Amino acid sequence: MALAQQVQLQRDPGARSDIVRRVTGSPALQLVGRRLLTAIPVLLGVTFLTFVVMNLIPGNPARLILGINATPGQIEQTDIKLGLNHPFWDRYWLWLDGLLHGNLGIAYSNQQSVNTDLAQHLPVTCWLLLYTLVVSLGLGVIVAVLAARKPNGIADRLSLAVSMLGLSIAPYVLALVLIYVFAVKVQWFPAISNSLGGNPLQAIRALTLPAASIGFPLFAVYSRLLRADIVEQMQREDYIVTAKAKGVSPWRVLILHATRNSMFTLITLVALNLGTLIGAVAIIEPIFSLPGIGAELIGAIQINDLPLVEGIVVVFALVTVAGNLLADLLYAVLDPRIRYGRSTS
Amino acid sequence: MAAQLPDLTTTLAPGAAPPLPSLVSARHLRNQRVGRALRLWVPAAILVALFFLCFIWPYVYTIPSGTVGSILAAQEPPFSPGHWLGTDPVGVDVFAMLVYGGQVAFEVGFAVTAIGLVIGGLIGLAAGYFGGWTDTILSRIIDVLIAFPALVLALAVAEVLQPSELHLIWALSVFSVPAFARVTRGSTLVVRQLPFIQAARLSGTRSWRIILKHVLPNVIPGIISFSLIGVGIVVILEGALDFLGLGIQQPKPSWGGMIARGQTVLTATPEYVLIPSIVLLIFVMALNLLGDALRERWGVR
Repeated sequence: MALAQQVQLQRDPGARSDIVRRVTGSPALQLVGRRLLTAIPVLLGVTFLTFVVMNLIPGNPARLILGINATPGQIEQTDIKLGLNHPFWDRYWLWLDGLLHGNLGIAYSNQQSVNTDLAQHLPVTCWLLLYTLVVSLGLGVIVAVLAARKPNGIADRLSLAVSMLGLSIAPYVLALVLIYVFAVKVQWFPAISNSLGGNPLQAIRALTLPAASIGFPLFAVYSRLLRADIVEQMQREDYIVTAKAKGVSPWRVLILHATRNSMFTLITLVALNLGTLIGAVAIIEPIFSLPGIGAELIGAIQINDLPLVEGIVVVFALVTVAGNLLADLLYAVLDPRIRYGRSTS
Repeated sequence: MAAQLPDLTTTLAPGAAPPLPSLVSARHLRNQRVGRALRLWVPAAILVALFFLCFIWPYVYTIPSGTVGSILAAQEPPFSPGHWLGTDPVGVDVFAMLVYGGQVAFEVGFAVTAIGLVIGGLIGLAAGYFGGWTDTILSRIIDVLIAFPALVLALAVAEVLQPSELHLIWALSVFSVPAFARVTRGSTLVVRQLPFIQAARLSGTRSWRIILKHVLPNVIPGIISFSLIGVGIVVILEGALDFLGLGIQQPKPSWGGMIARGQTVLTATPEYVLIPSIVLLIFVMALNLLGDALRERWGVR
């Protein structure tokens, strides 16, 4: 049987490619594979760039750690301990080697492993981003549906004005306004939270204002995008006309047909932009004294702590890459045309 | 890939039919036209007014210094004589700080966007038009720069070079260039598929001529409206760096710096945060509205 197949293959090269296609076959898998391959140079590029930039900053980390009174001997010893006596390329190579083994090195500032540091601070940021995304997406979808129901109606205009405000306000300004109103004046939420506290309720209270500061601009982007997409679907697509002609109720057409189709443009956008949230997190977390990795990044940059900065940058670069991958996968899972590999125009 | 014939079934779809003119009253049409004009000219007028206030007003009318003030005139409330918006805790005039900080915001915002527009636009055109390896390599570089956090670079620039406006412009351009490159590449890809490009190519026109004469004019409206929104993003980012103390440094006034200093006395005197914040909001919102209006006028998505 196997032999027969071999012979068959030799005779007919077309058959081989057919079999190969069937094995590596699914276009979704190919898409993921290609994306993973392109992710590697991006990760290398980002970490290398960070390495170069951090190395350009003057000042010796050993002197920073030991203080002004350190003797040259002590500095030399610390240099050796931190691996700073190696040339630049060796250090980058060693760091990459560590990364592949899941070891992000030792932070200069507190001599702690970067892994431990990240394990300590990452959960806060994860909860913050989860909260932010759930609320901004949920509200964004509701508002977009209400606005798209009647383009140029009252709800639409109102939501447009609100989202314009969200697009134009700087997150740090919003954070300070929220602190003034909700922490200073009415005192519903704490202005400063050094930890998330013991119970979930406390954590939600601590995270609400920071999440609102990051989430409001996101909500604006999401609701605008989804609204535009739904309106376009409702006006252009044949299946909407069919559904309406069949007598499906307007709300049902809007939510189950149009919105469901538009959602996946939105989810793709969310996945693609996951990595860029580091900027907002880094600015908002210190304002609220939240012990997340954004605040950690700002602190690490200010004391020239290369391993810690690299560790945090890598985490977000990985999130970016994972987000891109997720977007592709969602395309493949949600869109049957891609799932079954039928070429589209 | 050859150009495809237009699909007659979709162009004739009932949903795409334009509204019948007889159903729309003349009054409604006029209102619509006025509304459209207002949406364009009101934000434009606000921007011109802000520009006038920041760059021309200091020469028309003597305003106090934006860097030093008398401690004797510290913490004066808004609308006090000689200080329209009051003075800050060390006696510097708030209005003067707004004006000089506004100059920084205008200069940084437009310079960074212009650099991104020209360099990023060219990269995007090349990547989108030539495709293949050119596209792959350029796109990977763009990906890296977009995934690279702005803060790290901004701080390095502030530490290595003296933190100054010019260096801030260079640091922020590292992020505007890939953003413009990505947008331009996207629209170039769309335009490249259009039949008239195929025709130009078949008739043997040189690549650079096709790019400049046929692709560029079709890509430009989208990029211009994007660039106005981009100026807003840059101004917010510049404010964020000032806010973190990584941008324009202390004695020199900046909106972000004013907000950061106001934060320390937020509970007692919220106006120190509120005044620069409102100006920043108006500036960015005017840019966004103008960008939207241009997009609507030029029919770009």
